[in-house]
Amino acid sequence: MPRPGRGGGTFRSSQRSRNSTAWVLMAPALALLLIMTIVPAVYLLWASLRNKTLLGLTDRFVGLQNYRDVLSNPDQLHGFARTGFFVLAAVTLELLLGLLLAVPLAAQSRSNNIAATLLLLPFAVTPVVSALMFKELLNPATGWIDYYMGQIGLPAHVEWLSNPTTAWVAIIGLDVWQWTPFVALILMAGLQSLPHEPREAAAIDGANAWQTFRHVSLPQLGPFIAIALVLRTIQAFKTFDAFALLTNGGPGKSTEIVNLQIYRVALQSFRIGAASATAIVFLILLSLLVPLLLRFAGRNADPEEA
Amino acid sequence: MSNSFIPRWAKAGATVLALALALTACGSDDGGTAVEPKAAKPQSLRMLYASTEADAAAVEAILPAFKKKFGFELKMDSQPLPGVQTKAFAELASNSSAYDIIIVDASWMPSLVGKLEPLSKYINDPKLNDMADTDFGDFIPKVLYDTSVYQADNIIAQYPDQSKVPDAKAITEAGFDIYNLPLQANVLIQSYRKDLFNDPKQKAAFEKKYGRPLEVPKTLDEYREVAKFFTQPDKKLYGTTVMAGVGDWSTDDFKTLLATQGGNGLMIDDKFNMAFNSPEGVKALEFYRSLITDGSVPPGSLNASWNEVAASFGSGVTAMSQNYHNAALNDDVDGEEGYAQVPAGVAQGPHFGTWGLAVNPNGKNKAWAYRAMTWLTAAEQQLTMTQDLLHPTRTSVYDQVQNQTEDPQLAEFYKVMGASLAVGVGRPRLTNYTEVAQAIAVAVNEAASGKKEPQEALDSAEQNVRRLLSEAGYDLGS
Repeated sequence: MPRPGRGGGTFRSSQRSRNSTAWVLMAPALALLLIMTIVPAVYLLWASLRNKTLLGLTDRFVGLQNYRDVLSNPDQLHGFARTGFFVLAAVTLELLLGLLLAVPLAAQSRSNNIAATLLLLPFAVTPVVSALMFKELLNPATGWIDYYMGQIGLPAHVEWLSNPTTAWVAIIGLDVWQWTPFVALILMAGLQSLPHEPREAAAIDGANAWQTFRHVSLPQLGPFIAIALVLRTIQAFKTFDAFALLTNGGPGKSTEIVNLQIYRVALQSFRIGAASATAIVFLILLSLLVPLLLRFAGRNADPEEA
Repeated sequence: MSNSFIPRWAKAGATVLALALALTACGSDDGGTAVEPKAAKPQSLRMLYASTEADAAAVEAILPAFKKKFGFELKMDSQPLPGVQTKAFAELASNSSAYDIIIVDASWMPSLVGKLEPLSKYINDPKLNDMADTDFGDFIPKVLYDTSVYQADNIIAQYPDQSKVPDAKAITEAGFDIYNLPLQANVLIQSYRKDLFNDPKQKAAFEKKYGRPLEVPKTLDEYREVAKFFTQPDKKLYGTTVMAGVGDWSTDDFKTLLATQGGNGLMIDDKFNMAFNSPEGVKALEFYRSLITDGSVPPGSLNASWNEVAASFGSGVTAMSQNYHNAALNDDVDGEEGYAQVPAGVAQGPHFGTWGLAVNPNGKNKAWAYRAMTWLTAAEQQLTMTQDLLHPTRTSVYDQVQNQTEDPQLAEFYKVMGASLAVGVGRPRLTNYTEVAQAIAVAVNEAASGKKEPQEALDSAEQNVRRLLSEAGYDLGS
């Protein structure tokens, strides 16, 4: 009969062995996380407290000066606000239009399969290419959009990218064209996976199509809407190409978003310290937003709670 | 603190390190590897180059001749902007020796000077100038002084007399050095539809309307008048182009007009005077805006860059245009291009910017890298590269190419380009010029669109520029 002391030792030893095996197995993932996420984040924080340039022409501790520059610069603050406006407008439109597309396409038929395949095309196009294409199409002197608007009696020679309002319409329009199919596909997959029974029960109870959709399908679709919302919000905050190629921040500063500012400071002036501070402020703002989104996603992940 | 606390291995390591540092210091006066003219030939050299912007095709075409001359290969890694800038900065920041030669744009130089090999000691050593006719004095003075000549401890300083024939010894005696050899120069020139200007009906109509013969405009007043004359929106024809979109292109347009009005085309001088916010700057913006309010430019000009301008002229939408290269008409446009200098006012100063070749101070074959650069930038090779439309940087090449080419249009193009470079104005020497140019571009765009009056736009730009310079560490005084 084993003595208790020894038995305990064996247990602890086996526990230690299991623990070290777990650490060994986790080590590659932890190392990757450390190298790809934690080290750059710490570097970003460190750099944001210095007046560092890439080539080391200046590299001195400046405390919170870079943050003061960001927060006292009206252009940068407007840049944050414009970024938020873009994300809100684009993602809202994409969710609404995506849902409108997903509902008819969810019914599995040959024509819907073809339509779903065609739907994939816009978001398969590289953002740089789609932005360049849009710029050509919108050119009031040589573009197709102006030409066909004139043909059908709409106002021709609309200087889309020279006026702040129409420039925003063009940029949000490009994003909606490119990413609505992505949202539609997620929602379509969601609709196709929903059980039929609740809808059949609703029909027996006399609910019409709208009531069935509004009170049965839509709540069940909650987790899929949440996934689309979170993914698209994160992607939209990273948008750069459309702004850089269509307007470069113009007309005036009307479409100058924070990503353009960070790009110019970090990758053209190579003022790493200043760019890091802007990125950290951006990160803090996003960090405030993400829990809200996650809470929304979590609440909608369980259809019972929706 | 007692030495006994320091382990023996650490003492040994420190001694070896100190010796190594001492030996390295003895080897070179600039802290880098010594330049040895008699260094053995490398198996190959590697060069980082810019694609279309610096006409990589022209350089690629002479690489077989390079191999024949040197007996080894020059491997070119060409990348378009902005990737080539990021690559060049990353290579130099990491002290990488991957490239022996690195291409540099004039606008990057204020940031790069401390990271590039100073070339005066190479230029002054005859043993390193044995592979080509290096004739340093043949570089176009404006181009060389703007692109290559810097004072390491006062980067914003401009060489005092930029009309002098370049001389390496005089440059070093004035406290400056040379940091690259210029190869491809881009300058703002005017292209026009020769067929329209020579059309007897147009000539008669113009003379009837304005009481003078129709000619390619030489002054701003003539330019505005001719642009107005050709504008016929119902026939989809406009007088000229402006690059009024937000970006360094509109700043280039503005600084050219600023110089034309008698202002300082650099916009910010080496004493940090904001020369762009001046009566000449206001006049420049008023003229720019007048082209738009006259309706003489195609719709969409308020968002145009050099790409849209080239597309407008190429597709026959405009009678004149201003750009940095030979603007070709599309095949389906029945017409002929001609070239002229941009119109003058009380002065001249078309914007220009040049690409140069620099020796990587961390490279392992610096002597041969320099020799390769002298060969690539020599008059003979530049002349050959004009077959692929290189924009040369040497006075003699512009003279020769005009005499040698059988294409009169090309001869005219090079004549105009050479003359424009001789009077061109570069950029201010600021490490964050891109940000500064963007702030000025916003002012140009807002004044052009009528959103702000010129003076109001320039005041706002000055405020932004001062803030940007201060954030970048410049001391602007009170």
